[in-house]
Parts: sequence; C-alpha cells; structure tokens
Amino acid sequence: MENLIKELKVKIVEVLNLIDVRPEDIRPDDQLVGGKLGIDSIDVLELVMMIEKDYSVKIDNKEIGAKVFGSLRSMAAYIQQNAPGLAN
Amino acid sequence: MGAITPAGSGVSALREFLKSGTSFIGDLHLFPVSQENRFPVGEIQADLESDTIPRTHQLALSAAREALKHAANPPDALVLGVTTGGMLTTETLLKQGISDPAAFRFHATGSVAEYLEEELGCKGPVLTVSTACSSGAAAIKTAAEMLRAGQAKQILAGGADCLCRLTCYGFKSLQLIDPKGAKPWDQQRRGMSVAEASALVLLEAGEESPDNALAEILGAGLSCDAYHPSSPHPDGDGALAAMTAAIRDAEISLSDVDYISLHGTGTPDNDLSEAKALVRLFGEHPPRFSSVKGALGHSLAASGAVEAVISVLCTQLGQIPANTGCTLPDPALKTVPALQPVKAEVETVLSNSFGFGGNNAVLVLGTVRKKRTVSEKKHLPLRILGQSCITGAGRLGESLEKLLAGENCKGILSPADLSQNLSPGAVRRMKRLPRMVLSLAISAFEQSGCPEKPDAVYMGTGWGPLSETHDFLTRLFASDEKFTSPTDFIGSVHNAPAGHAAMHFGARGPNITVTGGDSSFEQALMAADLLAGNRENPFLLLAADEFHSALSPLFDPSVLESEYSDGGGAFCVKKSEKAEGICISPLFFENGEGNPEIISSLIRKLETQQNDFAAIMAGIPAAFREKGEDQLQEFVSLAKWNCPVADYRKWTGEFASASAVAAVLSSAFVRAGEIPAALCMGTPCDLKGKGILLLGLGKFVTAVGITP
Repeated sequence: MENLIKELKVKIVEVLNLIDVRPEDIRPDDQLVGGKLGIDSIDVLELVMMIEKDYSVKIDNKEIGAKVFGSLRSMAAYIQQNAPGLAN
Repeated sequence: MGAITPAGSGVSALREFLKSGTSFIGDLHLFPVSQENRFPVGEIQADLESDTIPRTHQLALSAAREALKHAANPPDALVLGVTTGGMLTTETLLKQGISDPAAFRFHATGSVAEYLEEELGCKGPVLTVSTACSSGAAAIKTAAEMLRAGQAKQILAGGADCLCRLTCYGFKSLQLIDPKGAKPWDQQRRGMSVAEASALVLLEAGEESPDNALAEILGAGLSCDAYHPSSPHPDGDGALAAMTAAIRDAEISLSDVDYISLHGTGTPDNDLSEAKALVRLFGEHPPRFSSVKGALGHSLAASGAVEAVISVLCTQLGQIPANTGCTLPDPALKTVPALQPVKAEVETVLSNSFGFGGNNAVLVLGTVRKKRTVSEKKHLPLRILGQSCITGAGRLGESLEKLLAGENCKGILSPADLSQNLSPGAVRRMKRLPRMVLSLAISAFEQSGCPEKPDAVYMGTGWGPLSETHDFLTRLFASDEKFTSPTDFIGSVHNAPAGHAAMHFGARGPNITVTGGDSSFEQALMAADLLAGNRENPFLLLAADEFHSALSPLFDPSVLESEYSDGGGAFCVKKSEKAEGICISPLFFENGEGNPEIISSLIRKLETQQNDFAAIMAGIPAAFREKGEDQLQEFVSLAKWNCPVADYRKWTGEFASASAVAAVLSSAFVRAGEIPAALCMGTPCDLKGKGILLLGLGKFVTAVGITP
C-alpha cells in the first residue's frame, strides 16, 4: 500500500500538471479534492481515467467517487481492493 | 423553418413528435464503438446524399433547403451555430493516417456555414457562432440583432451538429451520459443523451410582418456564468440572467410566458441549476415547461435552433411537448414538467439554451403580433481603450520594434514568453490557445487603464484550441477508443478560451465566440458591434489562433512551411458617444465565391468614407494570393484611392487571426499619426489625422475601419 501511495503521488502531479506541487508535498491523509492542492471536479475525472487505464479499476458514479477521492489513502485503498493483480 | 432531427427529416416529423412524445433515443450506428462504450444516442436515420461532404454539412443543407422552400431569393446573410464542423470526417481521416490537406477542406467549424452559402448562392456575411450547447440560440439572437440594425432584410439562422467521437467520448469522460438514456428532471437522472440535428429559420425584419410569417422572435438574452469551464452555476445565476435579459429584450412581462422549453439536458447539475433559476424567476409555480431532450437527445449546437422550431410549433398547434423520459420528477427541483403532451393555447415561449463555458442564450418566440413600432436605436461607435497583440516577435512593443527595424514578426512565441503574465497554477490545465487568449485579454485590459473590468467577451478564432483537440483524439485512438482526457475535451470547444477570460474578469455579460477561417476577427467585430448594445461598459474584442505542428498544416491551406506563425490581437473597447479614443468599425463583409461584383459592392459601401482613410492594410492569405491580389488591384484602380497599401501578412506570417494583429498595429499607427518608414518603402506615411482601412481579401472580402 505504501508503495502504491508513493506511485500515485507521482502520477497525480504528472496527470494533473500540478506545476507548483512536488509528489512528496501530497500527504496521504489530507483532503484530496477541494484542499490546498487545488484539485477540483475536472481533475477527479482525469484521475478516474488514469485509474481505469493504469489499474483497470472503474469508478463510474459520483457516490463511489466521493468516497474514493476523500484522500490519497482512500484512493490507494480502493485501487488496492479492486485492481486485478494487486495483492493486499 | 427547416429541421432534420432524430425524429426524422423535416419539420413535419417534429410536429408528429409534439403530439406523441415518442422517444427517438437508441443505439449508435454511425461509427463502431466497443462494448463498454455503448450508450444510447439520438441518431438521425436518414439517407444522406453524399459520401464526400461531411455529415453536419449535409444535415445543415437539408434543413436549409426546407427553410427556403418558398423563398424566391437566397437570404442576405447566414448565421449558424456549430461546434464540431467536419469533426466526424476528420476523426476518420486522422485514424487512417491521411495526410493530404485537401481531404480536410471541410474540417473547420466555420466550413458548414460557408458550404451552405455556396450551395444556396448567398453572397452576404456569414457568421458561425460557436458557444458550445448554446450556439444555435446564440446564432438566432445574433441574426435578430443584425436584422434590427438593418444590416440585412432576410437571414437564415440556426444550428447544426452531427454525432462524432469527440463529443460522444468527451461527454462520457465527464460522466455526463445517462447509460439508459436521458430523463430530464427525473429523480433518477444520470445525464444526457448526445444527439445530432440541424434546424434553421428564415428571419425577416419589419414593422409589418410578412403574410407568410409563422412566428416572431420577440427577443433574446445572453449571459455568461463566469463560474466554471463545464459546470453550470449551482444557483442558476447565469441562466436567470439570460432569461431576465430575454424577457426585458422582448418587452413582455413574466405572466405573458405560456411555455418554457427547458435546456433540460438530464445531467444532475444542469437540471438543478435550471430549476433554481426557474423558481427564482417565476416562483414555485412557473408556466408549463418541459425538456424535449429525453426524446430527441441533446444535439449540442443544433439544440437551441431545434427548440426554437419546436417553440413555433407549440404556438401553431396549441400543443406543449412532453418531458419524455421523466417518470418520477425530482422533488429537489421543486417543479414538475409536463409529463405528457398537453393541449394548450401558447402565444409566447421562452426557450433556454446553456453551454460549456457558462454560455447562456435564451430566446423569446411567439405568435405574430400586431404591427409594432420599432424605436430607432442610436448606433454608437466602438472605441478602443486598450490593446495588445502576440506575434512571433512577442508583444506589441516587441512586434513594433522588429517592424521598425525592417524585419518581420513571423514565428511562434515560446510557451514561457506566451505565459509571462499568467499565474502558473491558474493555467496548469490550459494549452496554447487559451493561454494566448487569456494573456492577450489581461494585457489589453491593463493597457486600457480602465477602472471597471470588462463585462463581456467577443472572440474570433479560425481553428479553435488545436492542441486540446489533437491530444484528445490522439489519446482516444492510442487506447483503442477507450481512454480520453476530460480536461482536453472541455478545453477543445472553440469557446473555452473566451470562457477562461470571462472567469478571470468575472465578465457575466454576453460571451460569444465566432469562427470563420481568415475572417474570424472580422466576425467577432461584427458580433460585438451587434450584441454589445449601447451600454457604456468596457468589454473585450479579440481573435487568436495557435499553430499546431500536426494539425495546422492539414487544416489551414495558407500555412507556409518554414514560416510557421501564430498569434492574435485583443482590444478592450466600449461603445461611447463621447469623441474619445480611436474607433474600430465593421464596414463590409461579403462572400467572394460566385460574386463577381464584390469589389464594386465594397466601393459603393465605402463611397462616403473615402476621406476617412489615408492608408490600407491588406490581408491576403497565402492560399488566396492570386485572387486576393486581383481583388486589391481592382479595388485600388476602380476606387481611385491614392494611398499607400501595406500587405501585412508579409510581416505577421500566415495564421487565421493575423487580421487581429494588423488591427492592433493599425490602431497604434493611427494613434501615432503615421505609419513608420520601414513599412512604407522608406518614407513614413503621414496619416494627416485620418484612419487606416483594414481589408481582408480572398475567399471573403471584409473591410474594417480604424479611425481617430
């Protein structure tokens, strides 16, 4: 899980083009959307696409999305639980 | 009126639909989709005539022919709302790796209207309004203002869009598609159904209505949310502003409205925002209302025009369409639409259209009224308060410096230089064109020294955001049509850059993007002149185009290898009676195709203004070099204008919005009172207190006056 979190930090910065954020600045338990990183609803959809592409995990409704994107940790946990081939 | 929709060909199909409320949402057959990407759409089941002309163009022509069935002559002008132009064909060509530019000749969003003009033999001005899903309604508003201003007697106006991968997969990536088909206003609604259509109306102005008039456009209102690139304002502020403006423009009262044709896409956010706006305007018991998008789908740029036609049918048939798809109205929306078709007398209809970029357009249509007196409105000139440009050399100062040194300002400014005045965090999602536009807008406003911020934006672009379009399609094709970028989709619409400018300034007035190749800036100027009213608030007028290494050489026939260039120009302007500052005015706009009298027509138009100008700046796009030079020659010899002519594309390079740069340079020269020697074969041209005439030549002939 920690490795996945580390990996996701890099991907978030890259996919969302967060120019003034370094991967290590993203803290796993901080609020991910609407927090100080400036991540908004369009970014969430971009992350949905990345998660489906890179981890084959679909997030296709808002209710699940709201839970998944609460924090980096919840996002990693959801991927871990649902990705084929990612053992706990 | 003419229409082709998922309900069938012709207005008669819509008439039947009004009575039945049948849904026409079904499977997509137009292009192959993978199992996981299957979702219902509103596809037109009709045999189209041609394999070589793109689908949107054919749909528009079908609607146009029907609308003009009884017309003796072609219309004087054409105003069409379009968002994707030849995109469906372009997608196929790009997938196949076709690299012959001739194959892409109908790509441009503006090419649909140009194709119609040629097919119909229309010689007058053509405007393509591209404000995403409000385009069709915004086009009708623009046409109505053109008629009110007396610039044309008859105008064909409406919208057209066909289904394509960009919009289908784009809305899918935003999770805005209901997998079971749209059910607007329903508690279980999950999104829209993307659709295709075209609808056109032939409009005529006059105190007396023509005998065969079907209805009247009583008024219309425009607004911008200036809130978010793709989501509507949560309280419906923009929708409310546009409805209020439309009612005021139509000079009716709220109680006159018999029916409201909703935008009603079926997305959770749209319907909530629109419902709030309805309740804020009418209270919890508004007039009868419904959305036809559960039955016909959302035909994007066409939808506003389709719904205008439906509004007219409502008045003719005394019939209100059902809000097909909705079985359990959402209590959170506090209002209940017409769930079944209803018989009712309808004299006045409010028709809502809202789009990406928070662009809102509302029409008021009604039965033909008794003779009305039209109050003459004074037409105030547009005065330049501030200006800016971007060229390969840099900004205005750097561009002038190069020109004074006898060099040109061709080329492509580096992304870093382009983004100088932009905050990196704020523009992280923007690619080349939106950055260029925002940067131009900020500079023009700063340069104006104006205390009030601009409250409206009028923008022209020949090709729109090419980087976003390219990246969206590349990613889609690379993943076997599975993955896209929602950010690129939102950014790919032509009006996205102007939407960013509106958000930056909080500009909640009209936000209009127009497109038409090399005449895009001239179209924006016309739109601004028509739609800005006579309020003395400052607003932005601009045009810009980006160079894209893969797409520009395919799309723009004037692009010259080894001289790739891009840029644009922006003005902060206001309408004012006070004689202060330089004026910019649209003087002439005609289609050069099949119009041998065009130069004589231009000369006649400028007859009384000959003494206003001391120099000509001529824009001759490379693809029309020979034709343009002949036109210029003809103009100079017939008009007997004895003044210097500058061929400005030789300095700016070739890109669709080069005329916006030329306009900014001209206004700098007019302010200085002379054109520098380096640009006039060694001798400075003393303007003697006169202005510069900006001529656009080639496919269209345009004239813009820049006068002290």
